[in-house]
Parts: sequence; C-alpha cells; structure tokens
Amino acid sequence: IQTYEFKVEMTCEGCSGAVTRILTKKLGADANFNVDLAAQKVTITSDLSQDELTEMLKKSGKAVTYIGVQ
Amino acid sequence: KRTTTGKIAIEGMTCNSCVNTIESQVGSYTGIHSIKVSLASREAVVEYNSELIELEQIKDAIEDMGFDASIKF
Repeated sequence: IQTYEFKVEMTCEGCSGAVTRILTKKLGADANFNVDLAAQKVTITSDLSQDELTEMLKKSGKAVTYIGVQ
Repeated sequence: KRTTTGKIAIEGMTCNSCVNTIESQVGSYTGIHSIKVSLASREAVVEYNSELIELEQIKDAIEDMGFDASIKF
C-alpha cells in the first residue's frame, strides 16, 4: 500500500466530480483517495501500481502528471 | 459512407471544459465522425461509423470519464 500524489488539471467542480466518480467506480466505494480541486491535486492510497493509477486518471481526458509518493 | 447518428444523455457536466474534454477525447476514437456535446440540454449528438464502433462503446467511454451516460437512441 502506497500513497501516490498526482497533479490533475481540473478547472471546475464538474471536473473534480468526474475524477471522484472515476476513482469511486474503479477503486470501490471504500477507496482511500482525495481530490483537491483548489490545489489541482489527487492523492490515492492503494496497492495498485503508480502507472495503473495514472492510466485510470488519464481516462478522464485531463492532463495528469505524477508527482511522487507521499 | 455508413454514418449513424446517436444521442447520449450525459449527467454531471457543469462547465465548458467538461464539454471540451468529452468532445476531444471521444472525438479521437476510431469510427467517430463528429460529436457535439450540449451543456444546456445535457446530451451529446454523435455521428459515427457503426461498423467501427458501437454506441454502447461510446457511452462506456463517457462513463469511463466519470460522467453518467445513457443512450437516448
């Protein structure tokens, strides 16, 4: 289990909502993640690999950059 | 040229950047001729080649993007 940090370009509530819905759908309702619209950051605690999570976030069509492990 | 027109209802869009994201992402799929997303009427009109892609796949792609999509026709 690692906590990964990603920079995700979200411009509005709808975008952060979309990212939240993707993670909830893919990681399950009890997934441990946080979507911070103001800071344009998404932090995910999961046993999935960093590139699996990057791929998941990229499906939202938004620009995703991997920051690092917390 | 076999072009079919489909309409998909999309919930969860609140701003134009969501519209642009969907249009640019779905628009890049093979078989999609055009996609016009309307924020006001919360739906997308898609012209696609039904031999290359199914409306179901387009709906799934939009749902993968974190929106709630349902096929109208």
